[in-house]
Amino acid sequence: MKFKSGISEKNVIMKCGADMMLPFAVVFGIYIILFGTVSPGGGFQGGVMVAAAAVLLYLAYGYNTAKQAINTEVLRVGEACGATLYVILGLCGLFVGANFCRNIFFDNGAVGDLISAGTITFMGYSVGFKVLTGVGFLLLLMMSLLAPDADDEEEDAE
Amino acid sequence: MKAKKIVAAISLAVILAAGLYSVIYAYTSIPKAYDGSDVNVVDLYNNPADYSTENPDGVADIIVKQNLEKTMAANNVAAVVFDFRGFDTLGESFILLTSIAGAFVILAKSHKKKEDEE
Repeated sequence: MKFKSGISEKNVIMKCGADMMLPFAVVFGIYIILFGTVSPGGGFQGGVMVAAAAVLLYLAYGYNTAKQAINTEVLRVGEACGATLYVILGLCGLFVGANFCRNIFFDNGAVGDLISAGTITFMGYSVGFKVLTGVGFLLLLMMSLLAPDADDEEEDAE
Repeated sequence: MKAKKIVAAISLAVILAAGLYSVIYAYTSIPKAYDGSDVNVVDLYNNPADYSTENPDGVADIIVKQNLEKTMAANNVAAVVFDFRGFDTLGESFILLTSIAGAFVILAKSHKKKEDEE
């Protein structure tokens, strides 16, 4: 059902399900990014899982709420920042006299520690951040195509 | 028309025969190497640094050992993706960046209108 202000009332089951699943989805995705070098997973997979939170928000509350909750400008800038961070961390290998993307300072700590794997841990984080922001931005862009009418009506009314 | 069909049937039959022969050849006379049947996966995962290499069978053991020496990462896939194939991951992530930039240019009609109004 649709109101005049463009806010559409969604299904209650959808809302309750999204409320229940959203924190777990975000936390589990961030866990997969953070423990990418220790346990199965990695930046790409965890980033997409976190970005799926935007889809849950859209399914439960509609496009307008999703856009109010998520700042798309931050996502757009954050993706470029993640890509730049990856290149800088890859260039760290050149500064110690090895090839591009060489793993450095990896021989501290025991096997299985979070930071014991050197730069590839942080490269995984940067790729995860980049995929999270990039895919989230892309999903919001596609949702804006699915619900263009409410926006246009609002603009026309104003 | 009929000649074409006959030629197509003959060529398909030849390709099928060659494929069958290669499958049989591969199954019978190529020796098995590194099938990993003797690798104790649970032991290797739980205790990779001290896993016994007296009876090395399988690439898994070699990969885990060399990987621990060179990167200290417990997840071998992460080590391969970010260290040994770093250029590949760079290209992958920049493909994502470029495709999202292209999608933004094509799809962001209403976005542009709003910014103009402001």
